[in-house]
Amino acid sequence: MQKDALHILLADDDEDDRLFFKDAFDDIKVQTKVDFVHDGLQLMEHLNQPDVVLPDVLFLDLNMPKKTGKECLIEIKKTPHLRDLIIAIYSTSSSDEDIEDTFVQGANIYIKKPSDFNTLKKLINEVITLNWHYHTSGLNRDNFLLSLK
Amino acid sequence: MRRIFNFNSSNLLRVIFVIAVFILLFISSISYKHNRDTHESSQLLLHTFEINIELERLISSIKDAEIGQNGYIITHNERYLTPYEFSRDKVNRSFVELNKLTAERKGQQKNLKQLFLLINKRYQCLEEALKYSNSDSYNKEKLENALQRGRVLMANIRAQVDNMKEREKQFLQERQANYDNEISLTPLFTVSVFLVALILIILSYRQISKDIERLKITNKKLLISTKLMDEAEMIGNFSTWQWDLQQDKIHYSDNQFRLLGFSPDAFVPERGTFLNFVHPDDKETLVNSMQTIKEQKKLPLIYYRIVRQDGSIRHFKSIGKLLVENEENAHIILGISFDVTDEYEQNIELSQRNKELEISNQELASFNHVASHDLQEPLRKIQTFISRFSEDDKKAISVRGREYFEKIDASSKRMRVLIDDLLLFSRTNTTKKEVVKANLNDLFQNAKTELNEVITEKKAEINSEKLPKLNVIPYQIEQLFINLIGNSLKYSLDNLAPIIHIGCVKVLSKNYPDVLNQNVKKYYKITFQDNGMGFDPQFKHSIFVLFKRLHSKNDYPGTGIGLAICKKIVDNHNGFITADSNPGEGAVFTVFLPE
Repeated sequence: MQKDALHILLADDDEDDRLFFKDAFDDIKVQTKVDFVHDGLQLMEHLNQPDVVLPDVLFLDLNMPKKTGKECLIEIKKTPHLRDLIIAIYSTSSSDEDIEDTFVQGANIYIKKPSDFNTLKKLINEVITLNWHYHTSGLNRDNFLLSLK
Repeated sequence: MRRIFNFNSSNLLRVIFVIAVFILLFISSISYKHNRDTHESSQLLLHTFEINIELERLISSIKDAEIGQNGYIITHNERYLTPYEFSRDKVNRSFVELNKLTAERKGQQKNLKQLFLLINKRYQCLEEALKYSNSDSYNKEKLENALQRGRVLMANIRAQVDNMKEREKQFLQERQANYDNEISLTPLFTVSVFLVALILIILSYRQISKDIERLKITNKKLLISTKLMDEAEMIGNFSTWQWDLQQDKIHYSDNQFRLLGFSPDAFVPERGTFLNFVHPDDKETLVNSMQTIKEQKKLPLIYYRIVRQDGSIRHFKSIGKLLVENEENAHIILGISFDVTDEYEQNIELSQRNKELEISNQELASFNHVASHDLQEPLRKIQTFISRFSEDDKKAISVRGREYFEKIDASSKRMRVLIDDLLLFSRTNTTKKEVVKANLNDLFQNAKTELNEVITEKKAEINSEKLPKLNVIPYQIEQLFINLIGNSLKYSLDNLAPIIHIGCVKVLSKNYPDVLNQNVKKYYKITFQDNGMGFDPQFKHSIFVLFKRLHSKNDYPGTGIGLAICKKIVDNHNGFITADSNPGEGAVFTVFLPE
């Protein structure tokens, strides 16, 4: 799985969050390449480039200007060449409604943005080392929301 | 009931009246007969008397003839023969008279015939005597013989007349006896019949006066009821009307005129009159309703508007029903019209307010949700930044700066708890409430698992009686258990391991009339009893109020939202929650949930 660098894409409009995200990836010991987009529109443009290299995991914030994370999720799942993209929802919200909606729309995992940097590192580590094939086949409402043991 | 009674009374009167009339007819016929009998009897007496006189006259005529004959025989003076010759005529006249008088007397006619024969013979004797006394043909022996026979015949005649008189007397006596018999009965009978009639008349008089008395009372009641109705119509803003479908006559109550903006009886209502007052847009409805009245003989509830003379618009509601006194002949529609303008306007205002309230409620809920949501964002960042402060960074600042930093950390943590609780509270309100049948024992176990860490730390003992299966919103009831048990754990005594007992009994709502909805009969009463520090009973109500805390947040961490959430959850389940305690004696939280 970790043949070269793991390619990560984060779609988040918040500069601070992008900073935390980048620092967390810098701190963990896995070879990664992290790219950022600032809103939903930019995300879709990026993904729809003809020569795009699709990320291994897309971290998707829900509350974004221009196009929300949920809209992007629906669009991605409708687009044939993007359909198999692994999507981790990365949001401040932990409302049942948001979790339920994104689960139904086909997101792979749901991460609530933590308020502690160490927790963030642990969560990210958990996500990128996850066996996606195994996780996706056994996915249900209970293990959709990622929580640290 | 009363109607039936009156009907009987008038029938009774009719019967009494008919009987009385018959009795009077009977009495008058009896007295008529009585009169006629009296008349007949006197007639009869007179008749007998006449017969007797005539008989006496007959005798006396014969005697005259006899005396005349005797005189002639002695004197041979022709003068004495005159009475004799007259007497023959007299006898004949008397005889004719007697024949007439005794025409209806059977035995007497026969007697009369015999008398006639005797008298004839007597006259033959007289003739013979005259003949043999004459000087030409004098014959002493034959004369004596004739005179002798004449005396015997005379005695026979007398006997016959006496016989006839006797017969007549007998006849009279018979009749008299008969008659006496008849009239001896009559007076008693008449008087008794008269008395009966009198009693009947008195009875009917009593009945009539009773009826009149009752009629008076009923009339008075009716008068009062009419007045009351009039008052009620004015106060209640409604009116009544009658429509006689057969005669096509319409009658309005006084208030009907008033409701239309007129004084009572200001005009004579006709079928079309009412339409003149109806709002142009509602005329069609009214016309259809009138058609319904005529065809189906009823008026279902209708709403319409009226335009009064002064141009003001009033909202009306009318309903009508057929007056059924007897099945075949029901043709009067009784109707009620209400002026519902005030209610209508109030309703409009109320629904307007309701709408506003709903909107403001929605705004409030979404504000609560969004605010706590959006507040999370900067807070999360503050906390993340704090977490990025390394020990080296902390050493680099002054001791006071480090102290401030710790306080910033504590405050941000507290803010986190507040926002989380606030979110939870708003979610209890806004999220969809899916009611399913759930086993409360399972929910209790889940809650215990959730609180496992604190329970172990405090060495708490939690036991529960068997809990029921109920139709609830499961995650909310679980939250309720967590909050209540968590509350007991938090306010435990320092030197005493917490013991929490959860009891459950089924109770009847009528035993708790002040707090439970009486429409639901049975409730489950679930009690959470602890041995903690308890609280002053004066706070038993306020502890359920949002942000209300009994302790300083430095002593006991908390937001003052937990018990407010409990109350909200119990309210969502149409239940009731109370708290009872005394300081130092532990607390009991009681939750009532409908069965």
